[in-house]
Amino acid sequence: MSMLSIKNLHASVEDKTILNGLDLDIKPGEVHAIMGPNGAGKSTLGYVVSGREGYNVEQGTAVLDGVELLELDAEERARAGLFLAFQYPVEIPGVSNMEFMKASVDAQREARGEAALSSRDFLTMAKEACSKVQLPLAFLKRGVNEGFSGGEKKRNEIMQMLLLEPKLCILDESDSGLDIDALQVVADGVNSLRSDDRSFIVITHYQRLLDYIKPDFVHVLSEGKIIKTGGAELAHELEAQGYAWLTGDSAENTAETSA
Amino acid sequence: MSTWLANAVDRGGATNDWLSPKRQQSLELLQQSRWPTRKTEAWKYTSVNMLVDATFAETSDGIFDAPELIDNLDSIDLLLVDGVLRSDIGDLPSGLSIYSIADTPIEQREWAAEVFTGAKPSKHYFGLVNDVLATAGVLIDVAEGVKVDRPIRVICRQSNGCESHTRILMRLGSNAEAVIIEDFAGEVKSFNTGFSEYIVGESATLEHYRIAMNTGEAISIGGCHFNLNYRSALNSTVVGLGSSLSRLDIDVNHIGEYATAKLNAFYLLNGSETFDLHSSIEHIAANGTSEENVRGIVADSSRAVFNGRIHIHRNAQKTLAELNNRNLLLSRNAEIYTKPELEIYADDVRCAHGATIAEIDKEALYYLQSRGMSKAQAQIMLSFGFINELVDQMPNQNLAAWLRPHLRRRFAEMESTQ
Repeated sequence: MSMLSIKNLHASVEDKTILNGLDLDIKPGEVHAIMGPNGAGKSTLGYVVSGREGYNVEQGTAVLDGVELLELDAEERARAGLFLAFQYPVEIPGVSNMEFMKASVDAQREARGEAALSSRDFLTMAKEACSKVQLPLAFLKRGVNEGFSGGEKKRNEIMQMLLLEPKLCILDESDSGLDIDALQVVADGVNSLRSDDRSFIVITHYQRLLDYIKPDFVHVLSEGKIIKTGGAELAHELEAQGYAWLTGDSAENTAETSA
Repeated sequence: MSTWLANAVDRGGATNDWLSPKRQQSLELLQQSRWPTRKTEAWKYTSVNMLVDATFAETSDGIFDAPELIDNLDSIDLLLVDGVLRSDIGDLPSGLSIYSIADTPIEQREWAAEVFTGAKPSKHYFGLVNDVLATAGVLIDVAEGVKVDRPIRVICRQSNGCESHTRILMRLGSNAEAVIIEDFAGEVKSFNTGFSEYIVGESATLEHYRIAMNTGEAISIGGCHFNLNYRSALNSTVVGLGSSLSRLDIDVNHIGEYATAKLNAFYLLNGSETFDLHSSIEHIAANGTSEENVRGIVADSSRAVFNGRIHIHRNAQKTLAELNNRNLLLSRNAEIYTKPELEIYADDVRCAHGATIAEIDKEALYYLQSRGMSKAQAQIMLSFGFINELVDQMPNQNLAAWLRPHLRRRFAEMESTQ
């Protein structure tokens, strides 16, 4: 049984086709890395699967643990166990991080028919998650992502992931803009959640993150489909050689810029 | 003049009290003024037609929306129902004096008559009406150097079908400090004008709240007017809900140098409510600062009007003045009319103003939904956050704590009519 099974996924944004027949099968407990040149559709994959408005699915299916996702609203997908760590987390001044996270956890509990957590119980959980991602507790009281540095935002995403305990986590360039220490914190957060009944998609430009989060599979996404799949060693090859040998383009055209 | 007003003035004109000379002046001005219509600039977007032939009772049936207790506020409460002071003015902290306008001792009348129309400009039509008709209200006097540590809460309520006109006149001596809450609420069919005037003495500090929470059929037209003397400070927060007609005029006059004014205001409108906020900051003296942040959320087919004027006089050099109005539209049928105005006659000042009207940020909505919240819940949370930034800035956090659940309920109602 797959945790996530994507078949023949075609999707477009403003009439521009971005995903072009993508297939991906992820078993429980697996970590899949997705790499690829800019514009390949990596972030789009995260948005389409999580249900962002403006991303139109033209064909295909995406089934999460038996639930067809593509028919659902974004919140129903989250309640089904999907989590997307945003590449650019949104700032929401006036709403405290704590309030935001409690509302998120409670919304998902309610959908499962569970009672809302008491403020005290949630505070205990939140404090634990906060220290796990090495953010000072003051970050629980601050406005959601308000004035956070790039690294703090990424750690805040991981904190949410720890609290929501999803079945499938998609990390969209969670390593971009991070120094080595912050990278380690993000990776530790992810690794602490790794288990036999949870899976990960790690979208990244760099092999570096994959030194910390060991993938079971590495996929190369190009022009909206997966053109090569390998083990962890594939990331090293890509780091050394770029994508040109796979996509047939000259190296200059696919020169990477950091996100 | 409308039929309603002519009748009201007939009654009020007969009032003979210690303010009569002042009232007479205002009556003359009123008679020279035209009844506001949509052609009157100050009333361009808000109609007062419903008042033309309106009739209200002068006396109360005694049933009114009881004021809520505010936890931990420990305020000095003054309850006015239909303009009549119902509370006993009990023991007050030393240096604080409060009198009923209807029952003002002779020795207090001189200063109080100076405060009356001392801060409120005569341009407000209903301010003149209030001058003529407001026989009810309170005088509040804080002596020099006195810091009143309990907030003074003036609670104005109307009973069904009633009309009332109340006035608050407050004087803070130099270096004095006080907190005042003008608390207007209630939804029954009624009409009130509530105008307040404040003379803030040298280096004195006034923390001011106007809870403008009349809703439903409670028509409310009022104003808060401040004279700021040398190095005085004003921190004011206006909380507005809308009703069939709700209008508030704020005037801040920087009379002395180095005065500071911080004004925050927010309004949350639903149904077919109207809330019309006009503010005018007069920088007359130099080295003053003013910072005004106004935010609003309008839902359903409600209508918000904001007109914010900053007027920097020739001698008001080194003024710092900022004005910002941000609005969220929750419905395609709601309306917002916003107009920030700068009028500058001094050449060495720093001013900024801006106004925006937007819908809820789609990316933020998606972010919250991607965490499992429903769209409706996410919208409430974002609306709340937008306003809560200003609630967080309220110096009195007990008042803020009381307010937040009210706002949440309001947001939930605003959503359900989508």
